[in-house]
Amino acid sequence: MNLFSQILYLLHKEITLEWRQRYAISGILLYVLSTVFIVYISFQNIGPQVWNVLFWIIMLFASVNAVMKSFVQESGYRQLYYFQLLHPIAIILSKMIYNALLLLVLGVLTFTSLAFIAGNPVQHAAEFALVLFLGSTGFSITFTFVSAIAAKADNSSTLMAVLSFPVVIPVLLLLVNLSAHSIGLLGGTEMGDKIMLLAAVDMILVALGLVLFPFLWRD
Amino acid sequence: MLIAKKKALSTLSLLLLPFTLLLAQQDTDFMRSMGKMYVVVAVILAIFIGIIIYLIRLDRKLTKLEDQIKNHE
Amino acid sequence: MKNYWWKFLGVLLLIYTFVFGLLTPLKTGITAASPYSLQAGQTQVVTVQGYNSFFTKEKEKLRAWLKTGSEFALAASQIEAVDDRTVKLTFHVPAHLPTDSKVKDFTLLIDSPADGASILPGGLSIKQDSVNEAAGKALWTASPISQLHEKEAITFPFRNILGETIRNTYYHVPMWMAMFIILIGAVVFSIKYLINPDADYDRKAMALTNVGLLLGILGLITGAIWAKNTWGKYWSWDVKQNMTAIALLIYSAYFVLRASFEDPEKKARISAVFNIFAFASIVPLIYIIPKLTDSLHPGAGGNIAFGSQDLDNTMRMIFYPAIIGWALLGLWIGEVILRTARIRERILDA
Repeated sequence: MNLFSQILYLLHKEITLEWRQRYAISGILLYVLSTVFIVYISFQNIGPQVWNVLFWIIMLFASVNAVMKSFVQESGYRQLYYFQLLHPIAIILSKMIYNALLLLVLGVLTFTSLAFIAGNPVQHAAEFALVLFLGSTGFSITFTFVSAIAAKADNSSTLMAVLSFPVVIPVLLLLVNLSAHSIGLLGGTEMGDKIMLLAAVDMILVALGLVLFPFLWRD
Repeated sequence: MLIAKKKALSTLSLLLLPFTLLLAQQDTDFMRSMGKMYVVVAVILAIFIGIIIYLIRLDRKLTKLEDQIKNHE
Repeated sequence: MKNYWWKFLGVLLLIYTFVFGLLTPLKTGITAASPYSLQAGQTQVVTVQGYNSFFTKEKEKLRAWLKTGSEFALAASQIEAVDDRTVKLTFHVPAHLPTDSKVKDFTLLIDSPADGASILPGGLSIKQDSVNEAAGKALWTASPISQLHEKEAITFPFRNILGETIRNTYYHVPMWMAMFIILIGAVVFSIKYLINPDADYDRKAMALTNVGLLLGILGLITGAIWAKNTWGKYWSWDVKQNMTAIALLIYSAYFVLRASFEDPEKKARISAVFNIFAFASIVPLIYIIPKLTDSLHPGAGGNIAFGSQDLDNTMRMIFYPAIIGWALLGLWIGEVILRTARIRERILDA
């Protein structure tokens, strides 16, 4: 099997597994819904500025929870099995793609529920969609890689938050800024520049993840 | 040894007390006098204290190692 | 001796930094002018406070202007140096100002052969009752600024909010840069470890990260002290402060990660991977945060940056050695940590 078909195979496997044990994904979806509702109850009047920040904070926590299980969950035997059969790059890349899709779904759900409850302040829908796409990719890359690191340690769920939050700050800052623009809070014209910057950060993190993952995978 | 340390600490805090009171009394004007020169003094002092605290930690680490060597022999 | 030279160099550079960074005087400056507000069409006396000034020296050669832009200026008609720090300026303010608004801020400029030229930017405002821009422009070009003196001695620039704290450029800012240099060193050793898994590389990366944390904490504390006393807040949205805070979070996490492994080989490998990944993820912040600052705080300024207008050549001559000096001191501390770690390993093995 070449790399590409390995990735496709793994993606297929991830989705089938997820579908078979639906409680995991429905748990995450419920997590998002209840967070949005709690946020609404505590804020009641949510202005565009707060909306923007809240959206990304909810996304951040939901993403950590969603991605955390991607490596932690898998048993040692299954990992050993993969290790003998598959290329490490195929494993990490398939997880990153799968998580990016999952986070995109989460993002759309967060957006819908927040817009339903607190109104939809987005003015440039296409730009917001692009930002959401880049954001879920960036979150997925960072969190997938960090969860691979955390899975190697014993106390992985605490470690996951401690390790991943500071690492994700650059992406988060850019996202909040960019989506503030698509909401109409910021006037600036150099948004294309920032989107390029965000894409570049994503690319750097993917490249590093691919280079470094084989070292994590060794045992 | 522990008692000696505690004693030293309390003496130190007693020595520092008048100084802190002085600072508290004069409020921000003190820091702003003489072209804010005291801000520079405070910054250098902070660096000095930081390095000293680090040194103390290192010192204690080395003491522990020395004890381990002693126990080994 | 051969192996110690860099420690000597570091200490020498730091001594140089302390001696010249603290002893070099500031350029003459103007701290205050009262009354703050003048009325057009009247003759008024303004009392001006100088800083590091010698007004009584060659007092007959003192000159002073109120200026706006580069072309409009009004010379003081009478100058009386009360003492070295105080001077009284008399202005015959014309009836019209070179502006189309009722109130305008003017920059006060005093020139003396002993002190050179010193300014108080936007230090005085003048009110006018009737607006006549053309007449104002004619009136304000009668006494142009000419032949300013340069102060001969070696000095640091005087800035109104900063005052003497401009010297913190040598004690606070290098902390951040030395931290960055040392963390780059840690990343290099992490990469070396992944290429060639030698336990000593891992210890070196660990020791350097440890020192990087120390420098980062010192940088944050000193930065907070400085910011509080100049801008009034402990924390200002500043690239260096934010990056240092994030670096502190990341590298504290690095030590938490290290603590959660028993097996030394696994610990070394995985923490090396995290070190590289984390470092690469914070580097883009250097580009990101300044871009965000522009859009979040339009027109916000007053930060010490590394731009050319903030560091003059005299300061560079101390600033760059200060960075090297602090980095070498950090390296020295790191070496001691490394040797301690080596000894501990020996004991554990024995």
